[in-house]
Amino acid sequence: MTAAVKSRFGVGASLQRKEDDRHLYGRGQFVADVKLPGLQDIAFVRSPHAHARIKGVSAPPDTAGQVFSARDLPDLKPMRAVPQVPGFRPSGYPAFATDKVRYVGEVIAACIAPTRAEAEDLAATVGVDYEVLPPVVDAAAAAKGSSVLVHESWADNLFIERTIQGGDIEVAKREAEIVVQREYKLHRQASVPLEGRGVLAYLDRRLDELVVYTSTQVPHTIRLGLSEMLGIEERRIRVIAPDVGGGFGGKARLSQEEVAVAALALAVDHPVRWIEDRSEHFLAAIHCREHLYRMTAYADRRGRILGLDAELVVDAGAYAMWPNGPFLETGMAARNLPGPYNIRHHRVKTFTVATNKSPIGPYRGVGRPGACFAIERMIDEVARAAGRDPLEVRVGNMVGPDQMPYKSVTGMTFDNGDYPQCARMCADLLDLPAVRARQKQGEPDGRLIGVGFAAYAEQTAHGCGEWVTRGAPFIPGYESCQARLMSDGSLVLMVGIQSHGQGLETTLSQVAHQELGIDPAKVSVRHGDTDIAPFGMGTIASRSMVMAGGAVARASRLLREKMLRIGAHLLQADPKDVRWEDGAVAGPSGTVRLEEIARIAHLRMEQLPDGVDPLLEVTATYEPAIDTGVFSYATHAAVVAVDPLTGLIEVLDYGVAEDCGTVVNPMIVDGQIRGGVIQGIGTALYEEIPYDDQGQPLAATFADYLMPGAAEMPAIKIAHLHTPTPYTEYGMKGMGEGGAIGPPAAIANAVRDALGPLGAELNETPMTPRRVLAAIRTARKRT
Amino acid sequence: MKAGAFDYVRPQSLAEAIQLRGGGRDTQLMAGGQSLVAMMNLRVAQPELVIDIGRLSELRTVSETGADVSLGACVTHAAIEDGRITDPSRGLMPRVASGLAYRAIRTRGTIGGSLALADPAAEWPTVLSALDAQVALRGSGGARALPCRDFVVGTYETRLVADEIVESIRVPKLSAAARWGYLKFCRKSGEFASSIVAVVRDPQRRYARAVLGAANGAPLVLVRTSELLAGAAQREVLETAIAADLDAAKDRRFDDFQRSLHAVIAQRAVQQALA
Amino acid sequence: MSQVRLTVNGKTVADDVPPRLSLADFLRERRNLTGTHLGCEHGVCGACTVLVDGEPARSCLMLAVACDGREVQTVEGLDKDRIATALREAFKQHHGLQCGFCTPGMLITARDLISRNVATSEREIRKGLSGNICRCTGYTNIVTAIGHAAKALAGGGGE
Repeated sequence: MTAAVKSRFGVGASLQRKEDDRHLYGRGQFVADVKLPGLQDIAFVRSPHAHARIKGVSAPPDTAGQVFSARDLPDLKPMRAVPQVPGFRPSGYPAFATDKVRYVGEVIAACIAPTRAEAEDLAATVGVDYEVLPPVVDAAAAAKGSSVLVHESWADNLFIERTIQGGDIEVAKREAEIVVQREYKLHRQASVPLEGRGVLAYLDRRLDELVVYTSTQVPHTIRLGLSEMLGIEERRIRVIAPDVGGGFGGKARLSQEEVAVAALALAVDHPVRWIEDRSEHFLAAIHCREHLYRMTAYADRRGRILGLDAELVVDAGAYAMWPNGPFLETGMAARNLPGPYNIRHHRVKTFTVATNKSPIGPYRGVGRPGACFAIERMIDEVARAAGRDPLEVRVGNMVGPDQMPYKSVTGMTFDNGDYPQCARMCADLLDLPAVRARQKQGEPDGRLIGVGFAAYAEQTAHGCGEWVTRGAPFIPGYESCQARLMSDGSLVLMVGIQSHGQGLETTLSQVAHQELGIDPAKVSVRHGDTDIAPFGMGTIASRSMVMAGGAVARASRLLREKMLRIGAHLLQADPKDVRWEDGAVAGPSGTVRLEEIARIAHLRMEQLPDGVDPLLEVTATYEPAIDTGVFSYATHAAVVAVDPLTGLIEVLDYGVAEDCGTVVNPMIVDGQIRGGVIQGIGTALYEEIPYDDQGQPLAATFADYLMPGAAEMPAIKIAHLHTPTPYTEYGMKGMGEGGAIGPPAAIANAVRDALGPLGAELNETPMTPRRVLAAIRTARKRT
Repeated sequence: MKAGAFDYVRPQSLAEAIQLRGGGRDTQLMAGGQSLVAMMNLRVAQPELVIDIGRLSELRTVSETGADVSLGACVTHAAIEDGRITDPSRGLMPRVASGLAYRAIRTRGTIGGSLALADPAAEWPTVLSALDAQVALRGSGGARALPCRDFVVGTYETRLVADEIVESIRVPKLSAAARWGYLKFCRKSGEFASSIVAVVRDPQRRYARAVLGAANGAPLVLVRTSELLAGAAQREVLETAIAADLDAAKDRRFDDFQRSLHAVIAQRAVQQALA
Repeated sequence: MSQVRLTVNGKTVADDVPPRLSLADFLRERRNLTGTHLGCEHGVCGACTVLVDGEPARSCLMLAVACDGREVQTVEGLDKDRIATALREAFKQHHGLQCGFCTPGMLITARDLISRNVATSEREIRKGLSGNICRCTGYTNIVTAIGHAAKALAGGGGE
């Protein structure tokens, strides 16, 4: 837990990425790039109905051995996500639908053929006899009760109904001088990594091991799940995540397809593969973001918020994804609703609703983009009611640096930081006075200018206690590293996380350099392969740099200690007279380098001191010194131009002031912020999967589902504060998700500011031209 | 998303292509393939036989007279964008081409293919109508020409009959006094538009036409607006005319948003043409 | 099946292919050139972009049979290309990639922008990249990298 020392290769260096070369030369290896003799392709038969009973599945007689459905794999167990949350209703989610299908896209059968095209031909010949049932599509209505049940053994369509509260909301109600009530809705979307999902599996007969390549963020968790569903010991399953083309949370759950392909690999005599196509991704990969908040804020006349009373409906789709289930998202949204503010009374009634839509899973920020949208819009409305500037009211409500560590009303402990200073830095980034001047002047093209802010605190690298509180069935409170120094002094770090764009092959090498002085170019980071890496919890929840970085640091120091003992012996010096310096043991009589010590430890054991065994290999785990997480935080600001006649919104400028403690690689951190922000802009303005009243998803290609492109991306100005946390190695915090948390709120507040003269508000994402014009029309009708 | 199986043939002449087209099999013509292959990959198009006409030199010729320029049907959007063909439209056609989808699509996609597909959100049907272009068709029954304005009749519906193929498009040259306005409303660069308006006004020919695309069907000529544009109309009068033209198109069933959007885009495109 | 004969990265190749086999699948499955990626198969995402007769094209929307006699260049064929080399350096320096899936398509598109001399302003580059989706980087660093590479190439020197 030492402060970071700046060096060219260590913590704090913007080292160029080691992973770049293979991708720049087109020599990356994603699942679809893996070639094996005899490989055949799978196409799935998927439900075209949102809700239906399956009366029968039939395939032409000459397709025996090529078409598989549930009855062909009777020993396959359904996935059952059972979080340890009282009142949560488990549901079985089979890899192949049995008696019922519950969303459009659900897997019913698999067809195997030499090519994907032929497998699709085969899938078209499979007949399924359906009894179509009415679908549950409106989560808010279903929360109140419905005659149609998604899971017939349940009394209603609620995975769980739970109230999260702290303080006493009645006190807030009594003392309030300002009361603001609003409804906020975020529509459904998908995670859309550019590489879709993919699974390739085969039985390795030499090792008696089922090998499963899958585009996943959590290889050990997948192995655990496959072991359970297939009934095979973990030692006989190998999961490999090769290069993964983006995950963002959507590849951190066990899928029907992973279980199905693994099972099929055991049923046939050759490797099999399924590569998700884009339409399948929109139908059947995890969905996210669909939240509805009905909220009341109680404040004093200056806009200090006394309490929040809210109802939150999360449309969770048809099944609980394994292992965690959907309440993870609901709980997170409810607990983050107070934002980074000193609010002492809080009540959120939550409804996690089962509907006939694709199951939800985590997507960058998870519950927080929704919570941030709700509280940040609310702050602006409270400010308006108080007749004060929204930024001032925001800062006035913030937890101050003198209140740290601060335990929130929802039980989260903010460790350190200066939220108000960060907010002011953000305003400076955008030159607020200049924006206000431009706003006053008016635009020649008639567009309206607005500026809006959003602030948040992002819980990262939370440990054991926090996950237990959340009821997670598996506790990702630690990470692991096996560090192996080779006889030539090069180093292999085997880690349980999985890098899919975050640059961990580089940053973990930087940590090794920090502890050992070894050149990062001499370090290999091996991740994603369960045969190589010690058990780990994968890359999720903004945890990897802290957790895996901590494990690497710890393992490196263990190696260093052993090398100091060996070096002292070789230098014939007293162990207390030697120190580690620039990759060598330095003593009064000279130095001996790491490479020499490594050679001796492997090849010349007679030179080792008594009591010291050969090899230089250790396995270490790491947990931060605090369970409740280390909190990055930021304020975002957006400047927009709104065309009041067409409803088109252009983001003219965007600023992020943030603090993630000690930064290991500034270039990579800024890259994560930018990437997160554009995903947030996607949520704010473009991305949506609407459903019709028959439960049919209405966006299944990029023609209907819009992704922000280079021409839509504003310049993003970034400023940093650095408040190292005392609880992690080097004082670092996670930050991977934060960029995606702020934009919907910041942009909505900017639009509110722009349309202020018209009295119009947007409280729904994405803020499409259609919705903007509708909001303006609504406001006009009121006046 | 792999296409269903089909046969493929590359005829060596337009006459051979016409013969294959009339041969009784379920065929699709492929010029650039940018729309067809996408539809086949999605299995919304499943022809038995794909007739590849993309390399027929007969369909890639460009010729010019004093009054007009004729482009072969298989001239690519990129060729128009880059100014590699003589431009009869005083910059309108290169401007339209440069905003169409993405460069990698434009290097293969063709103006004739776009016109023949008649996607309601496509640019060329609207713009060629505004330019008063003529489309030349050839089939086993001979050759004929139609105004582009009359060629597209509905969503993916044209006046092509039997084995006819779009051969070329003849665009009258705009005079030095001509002005145009062109606006495409979309939220994201390169996507299908929600509203397109092309306005061409050539006082020397006493010609003016305003056409609305992405109009829930064939491109919609704004008749009253066009009549007024041919004269010297004031802004407010034109706005009223645009409203009247949109209101008259009841069969298009514009919802509130579409109605107001089309009006705004049309007003702005008209102002461009008058500037 | 149809016979097809074309040049891929400077080498003549001949094969018997079903008409429905896309150029992308021909390259990936028949030629083992997996650097060209599939992200949508309907021409929007740009991950499959290659050069056909020197111009960028969506290999997911081209039939292999229709490429008979054509010259195709993929990212693997740009190892020694001068423009691509400058781009690779710039992408590394400016953190122009994260997961790497969009990268080959980005390089092909960027190379085309530079060679047509339409990479001279940030605005031009942004517009030129509109047909390549990146989910990870937020585009800013890619735009910066292309701008720097273009300048370096124009200046005749390195960065």
